[in-house]
Amino acid sequence: MSTRLRLALFAVAQLCLLPAIWKIARALPPFGNPIEIYGRSIDTLGPPLRHISNMVSAVNFDFRGLDTVGEEFMLLCAVTGAVTLLRGIRGEDRGAKAERLPGRPLLDRAESTILVARVFAPLILLFGLYMVLHATVTPGGGFQGGVIIASGLLLVYLGEGYDAWRCLAPSRVFDAMEGGGSLLFLLCGLGPMAAGGVFMENLLPLGSIKDVFSGGLIVIENASVAIAVIGGFAMLFLEFMEETRAAETENER
Amino acid sequence: MSVLPWLVAAWLFCVGIYGIVTSRNFVHLIGCLSVCQSSTYVLLLGIGYQWGAVAPIFYDHPPGTPAVDPVVQALVLTDIVVGATVTALLLAMALQVSRKHETLDPQKLRPFIDEGRR
Repeated sequence: MSTRLRLALFAVAQLCLLPAIWKIARALPPFGNPIEIYGRSIDTLGPPLRHISNMVSAVNFDFRGLDTVGEEFMLLCAVTGAVTLLRGIRGEDRGAKAERLPGRPLLDRAESTILVARVFAPLILLFGLYMVLHATVTPGGGFQGGVIIASGLLLVYLGEGYDAWRCLAPSRVFDAMEGGGSLLFLLCGLGPMAAGGVFMENLLPLGSIKDVFSGGLIVIENASVAIAVIGGFAMLFLEFMEETRAAETENER
Repeated sequence: MSVLPWLVAAWLFCVGIYGIVTSRNFVHLIGCLSVCQSSTYVLLLGIGYQWGAVAPIFYDHPPGTPAVDPVVQALVLTDIVVGATVTALLLAMALQVSRKHETLDPQKLRPFIDEGRR
């Protein structure tokens, strides 16, 4: 099929969709108008009901916690799928040597790279931790902080090299973090049911507002999401990195 | 000016979908899909915006200050994280395709026929 024919077909399909698009476009609220009643209720009721000041976390981990369980398992499925696809061909062993084009010289890492990575990797990890811990107070949370921590791990790779990185971050740990984090999040939902409440009911003491450990169950859910996100992203980095390595046995052959 | 966010969202979506339709490389196609996805972020955040409102964080502002919609922000937040992992999954699939078919061009792909059965 030529690109032109493809585009023509696509245009026809778009024409069929046009009435629906038009209807939705007409129904959009004017930009900047007062927000919907649902969001306004959460903004008003969230702080007194849950003793936390970050309403995005309140939506994610409490008021719409059930939806986040879905998101969490989408994350788990996507990571599991990607890792299975990549490991399926390669097996579980780790390649010892980097694949490189024959004849290309192997250069040492520049000292400035090592310095920058050593200075910034701990700082980024610390910043990620700060983001995770302050989910209920200031902007941040398990999702954002987890991604930042996992990205900080890449800087460790940049500064210390592949072998040191693999020793520091064994893939089994990340497997356990990804699965364990998701399990803990699910248990946060099921636990209150076992105690006689409803799914994800906030039965723990709520603490005082503007305190890092306020929000009761939200603190635990936030930590479990952070663990799962760190594990998932680090595992993805690891597996894609492993794609660029040559297996030792092949090298010797 | 008040239609500008909707126009940006529509433009991002159209650019992404044009890229998907005319793509000659799976990696490019996955990139275009991410562009399409970004348009949903703009749309959602646009719907939740209110002139003169603060962020839905009541640390410096007392509760009750007009704030933007936290629901769409939570949606976008989880969407970005999940979207990144789904992109990784798609890239892993692209790797498999390039191994099996030795091409990354979606327009050159043919249904995979098992050579042993023919």
